[in-house]
Amino acid sequence: MKRIDIMKRAAHNLTQSKARTALTSLAIAVGAFTLTLSLAGGEGARQYANKVLQSNINPQAMFIVKDPSFFDVTTGPALQQYSADTTQVRGTTVKVLSQSDIDAIQKTGDFTSVVPVFNLSMRYLTISGHSTKYIGQVASYDDTIVGSAAAGTLPKLGVNIGDNQATIPEEYVTTLGGTPADYIGKTLTLTFAADQASPSAAQIQQAFLSGGQSAVTQLVTPKTKDFTFTIVAVTKKGTTSVQANPRVTISPNAAKQVNDFVTAGTDKSGKYVGVQALVKAGTSSDAVKKQITNMGYGARTAKDLQGVIFTFVNTLQGIVLGFGLLALIASIFGIVNTQYISVLERTSQIGLMKALGMSRKNVARLFRYEAAWIGFIGAALGAALGIALGWVLNPIITNALSLGDQQLLIFVWWQIGLMIAALVVVAVVAGWFPARKAAKLDPIEALRTE
Amino acid sequence: MPKIEIESLTKTYGKKKNAFTALHNISFTIPDGVSVAIIGKSGSGKSTLMHAMSGLDRPEQGRVIIDGEDILKLKPKAIDTFRSKKMAFIFQSFFVQGNDTCYSNVSMPLEISRVPKRARRARILAALESVELGDKVKQKARNLSGGQKQRLAVARAIVNHPRVLFADEPTGNLDSVTGSHIESLLFTYAKEQKATLIIVTHDDDIASRCDMQIHIKDGHIEHIDYADMLPPIGKEQGHSAKLRGQKIRITEPKS
Repeated sequence: MKRIDIMKRAAHNLTQSKARTALTSLAIAVGAFTLTLSLAGGEGARQYANKVLQSNINPQAMFIVKDPSFFDVTTGPALQQYSADTTQVRGTTVKVLSQSDIDAIQKTGDFTSVVPVFNLSMRYLTISGHSTKYIGQVASYDDTIVGSAAAGTLPKLGVNIGDNQATIPEEYVTTLGGTPADYIGKTLTLTFAADQASPSAAQIQQAFLSGGQSAVTQLVTPKTKDFTFTIVAVTKKGTTSVQANPRVTISPNAAKQVNDFVTAGTDKSGKYVGVQALVKAGTSSDAVKKQITNMGYGARTAKDLQGVIFTFVNTLQGIVLGFGLLALIASIFGIVNTQYISVLERTSQIGLMKALGMSRKNVARLFRYEAAWIGFIGAALGAALGIALGWVLNPIITNALSLGDQQLLIFVWWQIGLMIAALVVVAVVAGWFPARKAAKLDPIEALRTE
Repeated sequence: MPKIEIESLTKTYGKKKNAFTALHNISFTIPDGVSVAIIGKSGSGKSTLMHAMSGLDRPEQGRVIIDGEDILKLKPKAIDTFRSKKMAFIFQSFFVQGNDTCYSNVSMPLEISRVPKRARRARILAALESVELGDKVKQKARNLSGGQKQRLAVARAIVNHPRVLFADEPTGNLDSVTGSHIESLLFTYAKEQKATLIIVTHDDDIASRCDMQIHIKDGHIEHIDYADMLPPIGKEQGHSAKLRGQKIRITEPKS
């Protein structure tokens, strides 16, 4: 029997029990539907993340720290040995870079700029027109990432804000009241306290002898200093912004001045958590990263950041894919069951075909093709439903998450084609044993029925 | 016009204690293009004999030589091919595919023996025409009457011009009028195509129309009758000559 004739017979046989075919296919369709949507969702999320990264992050940017384990998920033992080269960042102890490290990094000649990142903590901030003192976070303005402004203007990628300028996050406006535009041009005062070693008993005695009680108070009270800035922009926590927590930003130079004041005379002077470096244009940031890593430092490129986000997307997609596969496994048993019943119901037909000279191989093939058709119908149906739902949901999702022209469900034709082909194969495998049973049927026995 | 030689055929079902011998060392020869009736009560082994002759069953001993070839020595696939090209079957309970059209039913043997698609149509229509179902080509088989179903089965059997046509109680489920219609269709085909027709039956009317009658009882050949016009054949010559005499004696007064 020719393959095409077997395929036609198989398709025709399926139309004989439409309800059963439909139900079995539907089971596969559920799996196919889930797979289609998760493939589309993963693709959309990756494209979206890529778009965000490419438009907002300088691919040449690199963040360098002293200790490579800084980027590890695990932070090491809870109790760590003290060293003068460590500092606390958000509760985690990290080793810090010194000026000699920065010089070494600069000496490689691979960077256009190497800017230290300061671990600044302010005492309080005030804004002109408001008498209340607030606490907040402050950081250097990162010119390798473009944020979006709710009011005012931010400089282009690679250009920093002026040394007397600052940005405040949109969230502050919620607390302060008014609109973001109200705060452009206002004066922001940041008050910092200098770190200092606790005075010794001898020093206190000295102070008391020379200036009395007030001199002692002055000695133990940390020195504070106000730094004033003009607000040039209110930053938005937009969907395309990678920066997460709301904070005031000031220029790296201003941050350095603050840091110098805070750390003057302490063992933290001239020590930095890390440096934000910019790899020279035309030089592969990966190659430079390798070199920096070989020098014993930890480095993270824009590409690594992309990797982190992709890992996250892939994990989510994997979970949804897992559910789809689970549905598929259930539907496999459906096919096996349906085909077994089909073989039992059609023993006389099988016997006749064998009496007419149809070979075992072709009988088995007939039943496998039937299973393949069921798989194909189910997979195509599931994919079609998934795509239809994508059509309906895409505008809604885009609107709800304000993604602009970005769609979150992106259907890739080769992926869907591959999925359908895979499901056909799965169905054929599921139909294998029933087909073998049909092939092994004794025609004499089969024709004795009725 | 194949000559069929059966040599010392033995078929046993079951094993050891439960063993049941359905055929005991059976031998006979069917000459070219004759009609044969295999007669016996149910359980006598006549169906088993037919299955062995068609290669559907595999007896432990003996040879089934068709056209000089022992089909029991062929590989399963070769037997399948042999059957699809040279044999056809008609069954008591029709075994037509009710959900398929008449056309599709008749098309099946042609598909199995890999007849090209363009050559099929004319042959299918001719076969249906010859059994007077030319007007039911697109009808579903389940809508046919019993007689029509068996005619459809005949069309399916003859469409590929088989050299050997096996009919297992072809009129068993039919009334006498439709039964005799089916009978004449079978005999007409065998005569026109000079094919060998082997009918398994317990109906004496059909048996009497055959050139050769093999009577089976408990797995043994009881006797073989040859119609008047046939010469005695092969090594069974002596045995059959005697039996032939008996038959002539019975039928003579009428002629």
